Amino acid sequence: MAVFRWLANPWLQIALTAIIVTASELFLKLGARATASLTTPFWAWGISGLASAWTWLGIVFVILSLVSWLYVLRHIPLSIAFPLSNVVHVLVPLSCWFFLGETISLRRWCGIALVLTGLIIVAAPLARIEEKL
Amino acid sequence: MTALKFALVLVALVTFVAGQLWFKRAMEASQQFDFGGAFARRFIPGLVSMTVSFFLTLGLLQHLDLSYLYPFQGLSVIMICVLGALLLKERLTLQLIIGSFLISLGVVLVSLS
Repeated sequence: MAVFRWLANPWLQIALTAIIVTASELFLKLGARATASLTTPFWAWGISGLASAWTWLGIVFVILSLVSWLYVLRHIPLSIAFPLSNVVHVLVPLSCWFFLGETISLRRWCGIALVLTGLIIVAAPLARIEEKL
Repeated sequence: MTALKFALVLVALVTFVAGQLWFKRAMEASQQFDFGGAFARRFIPGLVSMTVSFFLTLGLLQHLDLSYLYPFQGLSVIMICVLGALLLKERLTLQLIIGSFLISLGVVLVSLS
C-alpha cells in the first residue's frame, strides 16, 4: 500500500516520469541506430525507425511517460513541474555514457552540474513549503 | 549540421512546447471533471503537436547523437516558464527564473559538447 501512496504523490511522479523518459530515449536511440542505414523518402520523419522492435518499446515507454506526466500536470503548475522534469538532461547523458558508451566531455559535465544547480534552486523553496505542510 | 537539420530541430522544439501548454490546459479542464468538450479541444491538439515533435525527433536521431540532439529541448524550460506565466497565469518567482535559466544554460552546454 505504501507503494500506491508513493505513486499518488505528484512530486514523486515527476521523478518517475523522468526515469521512464530516460528509458524511452535509450530505446529510441537503439531503434534509430539499428535502422540508420535504411534510406527512405521523408527520412526526417523517422518512419523507417519503426522497423526496429527497440523503437516500438520506446514508443510504449513514451506513452507510459505521457500518462505519468498528465498526472503530474493535474496537480502541479506547468512552470514548476516542467523545469523539474529537466532532470532528464542529467539522466540521459549519464545513461548514454553508462549503457551506450557515448563519451561525456568536460564541457558536458559542467552542463550537467549547471542543470543540477538550477534544479536545486527551483526545488529548494518547494521543499520548504512541503515541510510546513 | 546543415541548416535543414537545424530548422527541423527548432520545429521539434516549438511543437513540443505548444503540446505541453495544451496538455496543461487539458488537465485543468479534467479537474473540473469536464472530459467532454473542453478536455478534448485541448488534449487532441496537444497530442497532434507532440506526435509531430516525436517523429521529427526520431528522424533526427537517426542522424545525430542522442546526447547531442536531445538537450536542445532544454531551451523549452525558459519558453515554458514565460508562456506559463503569460498564457496559464502561473506564478513566475525569482527563484524559478534563476533556476530555469541555469537549467537552460546547462542543457545548452551539454548539447554543445
